[in-house]
Amino acid sequence: MKRWMIALASATALLAAPALAQDKIKIGAAPYGLNAEFMQIWVAALQEHPAVKSGEVELTVFDGRYDALVQQDQFKTMVTQKYNAIIFAPIDVDAGAAAVQAAADAGIPVIGSNTRVHSDLLTSYVGSDDTISGYMEAKTVLDKIGCKGNVVILEGPVGQSAQISRLEGNKKALAECPDVKVLEDQTANWSRAEAQTLMENWLTAHPNQINGVIGQNDEMALGAIEAIKAAKLDVKSFAIAGIDGITDALHAVKNGDMTSILQDARAQAQGALDLAILNAKKGDYKPQSDIWETYKDMPWKDGKEKLYNVPWTPVTADNVDKLLATRK
Amino acid sequence: MSVGDKKTMQGWLGSEQRRLLIQEYGIFLAFLILVAVLSVSNEFFLTAGNISNVLLQTSINGVLAIGMTFVILTRGIDLSVGSVVALAGIVSASFMTSSATAGVAGAPYPVALGLGIGLLVGIACGAISGLIVSRFSVPAFVTTLGMLSAARGMTLIYGGGRPVPALTPAFRWIGTGDVFGIPAPVIILAVVFAVSWWILNRTRFGRYIYAVGGNPHAARTSGINITRIQFLVYVISGGLAGFAGMLLSARTGSALPQAGIAYELDAIAAVVIGGTSLSGGVGRVTGTLIGALIIGVMNNGLDLMGIQSYYQQVLKGALIVGAVMLDQKRNYGA
Repeated sequence: MKRWMIALASATALLAAPALAQDKIKIGAAPYGLNAEFMQIWVAALQEHPAVKSGEVELTVFDGRYDALVQQDQFKTMVTQKYNAIIFAPIDVDAGAAAVQAAADAGIPVIGSNTRVHSDLLTSYVGSDDTISGYMEAKTVLDKIGCKGNVVILEGPVGQSAQISRLEGNKKALAECPDVKVLEDQTANWSRAEAQTLMENWLTAHPNQINGVIGQNDEMALGAIEAIKAAKLDVKSFAIAGIDGITDALHAVKNGDMTSILQDARAQAQGALDLAILNAKKGDYKPQSDIWETYKDMPWKDGKEKLYNVPWTPVTADNVDKLLATRK
Repeated sequence: MSVGDKKTMQGWLGSEQRRLLIQEYGIFLAFLILVAVLSVSNEFFLTAGNISNVLLQTSINGVLAIGMTFVILTRGIDLSVGSVVALAGIVSASFMTSSATAGVAGAPYPVALGLGIGLLVGIACGAISGLIVSRFSVPAFVTTLGMLSAARGMTLIYGGGRPVPALTPAFRWIGTGDVFGIPAPVIILAVVFAVSWWILNRTRFGRYIYAVGGNPHAARTSGINITRIQFLVYVISGGLAGFAGMLLSARTGSALPQAGIAYELDAIAAVVIGGTSLSGGVGRVTGTLIGALIIGVMNNGLDLMGIQSYYQQVLKGALIVGAVMLDQKRNYGA
């Protein structure tokens, strides 16, 4: 008897499921991992999108746990469950291509966001060009030291796409200042603690010679600041820059210790979601996020573009309070 | 030392004495050679500021490695220390932050309370591992591998994956302060070392640890409560990991959920380089301290010379395996 009831209940559920799916658009978001602040802001932005709040879209977030294989398996799950569209931030440019292929084979549109993937099958991509941020941050450091003196570079994990592109940008800016010498150039793996140790040792190896610190992300720039403070030197006599605009860095900018270049996680997430809904509805859709109003340089263009480049915003004393207010 | 000297020494000392001499001082000698080489090759290496830096950079791994020594002496292993560092760091920080959003209600609390809570978190993690290893006979490798995952997960749940910034100056003192120019973490490491040395060499509990690791069956038959000893070494390791977590967040100025990843490997490396046998019963906490110093000095020296960190990893690998090869030779080959 009990068994029959379970069977009956499951049969009803099976019948009911497709009916529900027709009402709501099912969109899966596959970020590479949720441990860091940037991706948490990204996910929160998806959940605050007007279409998700109104219930028009049913959003499921899959934590990729920094593993390309985990992400591939999550794509298989989304294909079997017949998602209408997928937003994808792959951990690896090459390994992500197989996942996109699987979705494309099933006819599910995939919108890239934040991190790149080598695949022609991606419907669109919403992200920010790391070469530009690398150039911008190095430029602020070089401008502050007057295009002469010595700098050190704290790099991301060598070989990651953000490290490659940001270094390319760093070098472009450095080429404009031939009098500036790069004293040291090493990876601290995006880590504040590693950067702190490295900077402590560099301050010893080059006493009173380092004028600028180019940190390829905010965490490492913050580590360098701690090392400078520990060496009882004046942080304000150094030009220090980072990228991303994490909350701790915003406080440091407010304090006058560094500059940062904000990567707009919210725009990358909500822009990708608007494109995902458009493709899920096969064209019958007007974008609902306010980011298209904010960034006039990134027009919607009926959602037909392959590449949407979210502009970087330098964090300065003028806009830092406004940005901090969004981080409650 | 020329070849001739070596021969006289061999004649002068019996093979057993020679073995003991290498065991006691071999690692110390290696350390001195490393320091000598680096002093010659870099002018800044032997400056007061740099020595203080090296000790500072060694302090966290040193504290973890000393805790690990207790565990390894009983034939165990504690893979969870890196995650416990993060958990204790973030929980204690939430009591000692002046940030309005990241802290618990009423924060910041007095430093003593925050430190107590961080220590308690570490001890609790260690006690859970210790209980499972000693009472339920689950292999230490498996138990602490589970704790490695669980403690990291709890760290992310507790802080919502966000860092806890704006730690109070009073708390930050344990990571950034100094007494007569000696950094506070270095003093803490010295105290942890002295107390551990005393426990292992001068107390009954210390002798029991060696006995349990050397021969558990003999230890049991001679009336030692080996369950209790096994439990307590994980409590010590967990408590010290909790303490190291607070040192780390006090040093970086912010407790990060990603903190301490893979720290267990450097701690184990220091223990192994220091001559403690993974099969238990043999080893000294002095060796561990020197093992940690060797890793710290090597990283610092290579940074000073501007050598990429990838070489540091290769060298550290060679050093770990080399130290154990030496260990094998001295135990079976001499």
